[in-house]
Amino acid sequence: MANNKRPIEIFMPPNVLKAKMGSGKLDLSAVKRAEQAIDNLKSEFTGWVIQDVSRLVEAGAAYVKQSNEETLADLYRAAHDLKGQAATFDFPLISRVASSLCLLTDDTVYGLPLPLNLIGAHIDAIKVIVRDNLKDPSDQTATELAAELEQQVAGFLEKHAAA
Amino acid sequence: MSYNFDRLRVLVVDDNLHSRTLVGAVLHAFGVKTVLEAASAEEGWKILAKNRCDLVFVDWVMDGMSGLEFSQMIRTAKDSPNQFVPIVMITGHTSLERVHAARDAGVNEFLAKPVSSKSILARLISVIENPRPFVRTKVYFGPCRRRRRVDYHGPERRVEENVIKPGKKSASAA
Repeated sequence: MANNKRPIEIFMPPNVLKAKMGSGKLDLSAVKRAEQAIDNLKSEFTGWVIQDVSRLVEAGAAYVKQSNEETLADLYRAAHDLKGQAATFDFPLISRVASSLCLLTDDTVYGLPLPLNLIGAHIDAIKVIVRDNLKDPSDQTATELAAELEQQVAGFLEKHAAA
Repeated sequence: MSYNFDRLRVLVVDDNLHSRTLVGAVLHAFGVKTVLEAASAEEGWKILAKNRCDLVFVDWVMDGMSGLEFSQMIRTAKDSPNQFVPIVMITGHTSLERVHAARDAGVNEFLAKPVSSKSILARLISVIENPRPFVRTKVYFGPCRRRRRVDYHGPERRVEENVIKPGKKSASAA
């Protein structure tokens, strides 16, 4: 209840954005232009994904060589970037596998003996998806592989949560 | 009459070049003429200090200072160049715990990855059309964290006599 006795100041700052943009409605042509802008970048997406995957491979190798908080954070960030962007770059399966890798490497697991083979399996799966240009989210082999990786991560986390 | 984006000055802070390029391209396509890009929170802070930005997009997970820490710094640092600038957090995090953490750092809106032109536009419109009042307490400064205007039937937790009306300074206000 002590919090309720703290003074609270509530105020509305000037809406600078509204003042600059005016009151109006959405110009649908702006949306079309933006979608076109993304389409124009699509020719670069595969190259971008390859660069981001290379970064992940390097981060994975660095973690295997020396497992510490810093290399784990680098690995997590590389996986997290792929998780967030790969779907935009038309590689939804990479997002899925990278998401599983994020669960395995986020800061809540620091100090646990992370299974290097499982980390490597995620990275290898992502490399295969890029190599074979698997953009269909329902690709049978890739979805089965992703499901297996997710299951193994869930099992690892469950085991250590219970410990 | 439609929105006029061309006078906006937007800062995009993301350590991933590809993500920055994508968000920047979409903003330019909407008509934003000035998109300032920073590859780190530290660089973003310098840009913010030199430019009057109208809106900040910041990625949560970055090398060095995180987007969360950057947002807190904008809201609470004594030398903050722009405490009120609307902040849109770009994030792949979807857990409620993470959302609450960002909200407590003073973030206005979330932009979940993967981003799209529609999701970026939706956040822009939300920031413009649904501005939230700012709240200053001893432990928080930033947009009101009561996100939605809904009929609330529970007990009032803000004690009326402790709510300082707009324009009046709180004794505790910095």
